[in-house]
Amino acid sequence: MLKIVFGDIENSIYHPPTYFDNQYEDEWITDPLSVEMIKDIDKSEVISAHLIVSPVLGPISTKEISGGVKTLILMAFDESEKVFNASSCGDNCAKWIVEIGRRKDLTINLHHVLDFSSAGEFDALILNTGKIVHGYREYLDEALAIKER
Amino acid sequence: MRGQYHIIVQNKRLRYEFDIRRNITIIRGDSATGKTTLYTMIALAARQGDSSGVDVQCEKKCRTLDELDWKIVLPTLHDCIIFLDEDNLFLKTTEFARLARNSDNYFAIITREDLPNLPYSVEEIYGIHTSGRYHDMKKIYNEFYHIYSGETLLEEVRPDECIVEDSNSGYYFFRDICEGKGISCKTAGGKSKIKDKLKESEKENILVIADGASAGPEMNELSQYMKIHPKTKCYLPESFEWMILKSGLIDGNTIQDILEHPEDFIESQTYFSWEQYFTNILIQYTQDTYLKYNKSKLNESYLHEKAKNMILNVMENIIF
Repeated sequence: MLKIVFGDIENSIYHPPTYFDNQYEDEWITDPLSVEMIKDIDKSEVISAHLIVSPVLGPISTKEISGGVKTLILMAFDESEKVFNASSCGDNCAKWIVEIGRRKDLTINLHHVLDFSSAGEFDALILNTGKIVHGYREYLDEALAIKER
Repeated sequence: MRGQYHIIVQNKRLRYEFDIRRNITIIRGDSATGKTTLYTMIALAARQGDSSGVDVQCEKKCRTLDELDWKIVLPTLHDCIIFLDEDNLFLKTTEFARLARNSDNYFAIITREDLPNLPYSVEEIYGIHTSGRYHDMKKIYNEFYHIYSGETLLEEVRPDECIVEDSNSGYYFFRDICEGKGISCKTAGGKSKIKDKLKESEKENILVIADGASAGPEMNELSQYMKIHPKTKCYLPESFEWMILKSGLIDGNTIQDILEHPEDFIESQTYFSWEQYFTNILIQYTQDTYLKYNKSKLNESYLHEKAKNMILNVMENIIF
């Protein structure tokens, strides 16, 4: 299930892209989920764990994929029990956060109200209030009432 | 620092071209639009100059700041455009807001956080989009676009409730306009309380009136609120005082000249937010006249029919 906590918390990685650069595993990059996310968000092709082809930058290293996708890959594969700051993700990553939350128990940290309006149907537990929200409307109502950012 | 600055940042494959015209500019938007790449290119050029292979063209020096030594470095920088990336935790501190307020630099900040300590404008929140390939077809051309629009309401709005950010003259003006027309008018008592007022309201067609010059930190949440409450609209002029100046009520070519390109008149070190400048010139230009402006208590002359209509004419597509 997807769990969301707003504001500063312990055990959170504030800037996941930096953490990713120093902690990622090669097999994360070639996993079909990562390949799909990199294709969707970055419009780039995974050739191998060390080579991505971007339509803008040409051949790039794994460390040059977008900060949003790096954060998503950490959410999907990192097993360190860290909580990643999803404010490193653009709104175009929201549907993937929901998807990862369907596949595993995922807790994310937010320092802004991420727009989940394009993420389809989802349930999430808002840890600040203990309320389970069903869909974007309930999520937004709950998020706007929380003062922590 | 004052003025608008055109900036070109480019290497062999990428070209960014944009203008910066206020002390605080926010860059945000979807992932993979090139925000961090822009920051990295500017950081490289600032550190290594020509040997970086990055070409930065700007009348002012462009540079970056790091988490480690920003407190030491920032006070030594003057007349620069400083780019800041989202990995800097200090961005949301009151200490950074204090130093930025007293600084004669402009700041371009890459962040999705609201940064309520910084009174940035709705008009200066940008995303980056690719607008095509440049000349030789090898280079991708990126430019900024406005994420929000402050003043423009594309469809006619007939509110049955107004929520006014201001609790002073601006509120008294709109309260008078709404009175007798079956429109309720409430003050939010500050921009951060607008959402609470919206939540309390039982009306459907709500018009929020707030100072666009400093409402930037509220825009992410307000725009999402409007997505699920599409009959709620925001009118975000620079400020109420800007509306009076814009209305033509106060004579003077200088005023219209200022309003056409305020960035050339407003010293960022003196005015952290443009609304403070507009209030000051309104007070200055109305001193010793029947329209003498007082921010805390509205001069009744602004409620005379002719004055009221002139100010309301500034608000396009809003019918009271």
